[in-house]
Amino acid sequence: MQAGLHESSPESMTSTWTVSWQTQGSPSDHLTLEHTVAVSGPDLTTQEFKQATKENMSNVTFVEYEVLLPGVSGTSVEKNITLDSATRIELSCRLDSKYSHLKSLRVTWKRGNETIRHINKTENSWSIQLMILDNSKLGSYSCVLQGEEEISAVFHLQVPKIEGKEKPIISYEGDTVVMTCKSFDYAPIAWTWYVTNGSEQIAINDSLLADKYVINRISANVTHLKILKVTKEDDGVYWCEAAFELGKSIGKLKLKVLSLMVPLKPFLAIVAEVVIIVTMVFLYEMYSKKKEKRAEYEKEFDQVEQLKSEESNGLENSSARHRKT
Amino acid sequence: PPTNAGQAPGPPDGGWGWAVVFGAFISIGFAYAFPKGLAIFFKEIQDFFGTSYSEIAWVSSIMLATTYGAGPISSILVNRYGSRPVVMFGGLLCGIGMVSAAFCTSILQLYICVGFITGFGLALNLQPSVIMIGKYFLKRRPIANGLAMAGSPVMLCTLAPLNQFLFDNFGWRGSFLILGAILLNCCVAGALFRPIGAATASVKTQVTEKGTDALKEEVTGDAVEMSTLTDVPLKDKMEDEEEKDCCEKINQYLDFSLFKHRGFLIYLIGNVLMFLGFFAPIVFLAPYAKHIGIDEYSAAFLLSILAIVDMIARPTTGIIANSKWVRPRIQYFFSFAITFNGTCHLLCPLASGYTGLVIYSIFFGLAFGMVCAMLFETLMDLVGAARFTSAVGLVTIAECCTILLGPPIGGTLIDTFGDYKYMFIKCGAVMVLAGTFLFIMNYYNYHMLAKEEKERKSKEEHPTSVRTENEGRNNWNKETAQNGPELEPLREEQEGLKKEVNGT
Repeated sequence: MQAGLHESSPESMTSTWTVSWQTQGSPSDHLTLEHTVAVSGPDLTTQEFKQATKENMSNVTFVEYEVLLPGVSGTSVEKNITLDSATRIELSCRLDSKYSHLKSLRVTWKRGNETIRHINKTENSWSIQLMILDNSKLGSYSCVLQGEEEISAVFHLQVPKIEGKEKPIISYEGDTVVMTCKSFDYAPIAWTWYVTNGSEQIAINDSLLADKYVINRISANVTHLKILKVTKEDDGVYWCEAAFELGKSIGKLKLKVLSLMVPLKPFLAIVAEVVIIVTMVFLYEMYSKKKEKRAEYEKEFDQVEQLKSEESNGLENSSARHRKT
Repeated sequence: PPTNAGQAPGPPDGGWGWAVVFGAFISIGFAYAFPKGLAIFFKEIQDFFGTSYSEIAWVSSIMLATTYGAGPISSILVNRYGSRPVVMFGGLLCGIGMVSAAFCTSILQLYICVGFITGFGLALNLQPSVIMIGKYFLKRRPIANGLAMAGSPVMLCTLAPLNQFLFDNFGWRGSFLILGAILLNCCVAGALFRPIGAATASVKTQVTEKGTDALKEEVTGDAVEMSTLTDVPLKDKMEDEEEKDCCEKINQYLDFSLFKHRGFLIYLIGNVLMFLGFFAPIVFLAPYAKHIGIDEYSAAFLLSILAIVDMIARPTTGIIANSKWVRPRIQYFFSFAITFNGTCHLLCPLASGYTGLVIYSIFFGLAFGMVCAMLFETLMDLVGAARFTSAVGLVTIAECCTILLGPPIGGTLIDTFGDYKYMFIKCGAVMVLAGTFLFIMNYYNYHMLAKEEKERKSKEEHPTSVRTENEGRNNWNKETAQNGPELEPLREEQEGLKKEVNGT
């Protein structure tokens, strides 16, 4: 690690700043980071830089991260960096050249309370180089610029996150359930599953309980836990743990076991509704048919009556005629 | 008492007809929206059975193929038993299919239960619903068709969040169980399909004009209120042609003579061509949006916009198609809608950014709704309500192939060129071609129909009818003269002619 001096230059903090960072691609020996430059805006917008970094030093990747510091004091910039294997990393904080008129700046790099010696990369940027070989080196590193006001940026070095499932997984008694855990972008060294019993986590040994649990690593990033013949006791919280070189990361899953009665109730309710409505429709149809028949019958009855009265009139007429002649 | 069959009124055009429209709304809605709504369960089922996504997607494809491919079977059953028993049986079948799917233990069983059984049940729902509308409506038929077809987007908008809710609370097995019960509501729709005899009265003119084939269809048709007067001479005719026994029997149930019907052939070719490019854009709209950088939720929202515009467009198109300016030229309106749809797709690659895609979705929803609303109306217009039963079966099985081919062809284009615009261009070009073809051929068809009508009238030796026809004959009548016997009562209303409807 190199020691370095920092310089303070007369600057005034009048304008707002822009923040930028580089993103790391998938870890490989040849890391190429490419970003395009964008115009800085008056507010906190992200920018991307065009840079390429790569270095191959005895199987250890080298990455660089740079942050443009914000001008407004009080607001802190944070950057999450995901590391899954041993990495040599350089973190830098940069002040935009148009603000290089700031006076008497004191730059400190810290991790918690521990100060780290930094180097002055350029006139306006300060960086530290770290060798991350195990879990102990992960954490939050911050650079603080002390001038009239304090400007700071924080880098969070973490292991990759694991995705479980937020919503509970529903399964039924006697059924099989498959729970999936996925790691984004990084392949863990090993996966372990835990089930919560009371307040402690118990590792699931699928060779011991082969007729109950089956653990499958579908691909490098995905693991499946299959639970056979699910019972009510299997209800609860499960954890999938991914082991990386630099530490462990867990994802949480919830299993809910229902009995078949649960969906059966809405099912029967809907079937009952269908039967009732169909019966009503048919009853209404019979009723309206009866009404029609009655109306027709009455009409015919009237017609017959009319015919009868005509006949009787006719008879009277003929008898009248007969009498006349 | 005198037989009243001779003076039977035309289709009710209202009254219980609106209840039938509601039933058709439900049936058609389930038939079109249910396969799409199932997609929500696929991810979970894929993990559960450990299969790839394409194996799961087969469930939807089999369902769609069965719904369209079983069209002729549906037509035969309706010709034999009537719409109501067929729809109720279809609803029952859907319910049984989904309930048994809830207890499936392999992907193959899912193919059978969800794909075949439920698909077949939906086929038994779709065709009879459309047929019933033709039986209950004549003057207001386009409106009735538009309203009933609006069931599809409404059901889709309802099923999508409902399926998500069911899945979150009951898992996929419980959801399938409950969905089985929900599909039983198709039986309610079936109960509403009260049999009606009005259709036979209005097509008695067809009986005297179109010959024995169609006639036999009428004899075995579901509504049986034939007048004894017309029966006797026709039965003699039937006995004369005993040698065509087997063909007769088949034609009784499924009218293959439709393939000699000019209007039917035009419709068939045009529609089969159109369906090659009809569904692919919907399937690929969301992936295309994600491809150009739009986030998942906004991409899904595009489809919601499409569905909402579609929902409004269908009844509106029905109303427009029913107006006296459009109804006589409804085939042109249909061709216009297809061409408009195609143009939208051709212009889509020019849309840049989210706003452009929103505008595209709105126009696409409008065009899609217009085409769907008139899809069956135009067929009814061409072949008439009586032969519609067989026509719709034959058309759907022909469309089945192109419907299934459309999205995969689009997918292959996207994979080969790595760019979505060729898929849009292909769909747009196919639809513009189909629209133009339909436009030109229907112009020819209208022309020929007018010519035939003139010949027929001059051959008839009723001096009175000739005189009454010469009275106040307007262009509208000329153009629509042979569009189908169903317009005869319309004309009657217009001019007061009664001779044809009463039969000879």
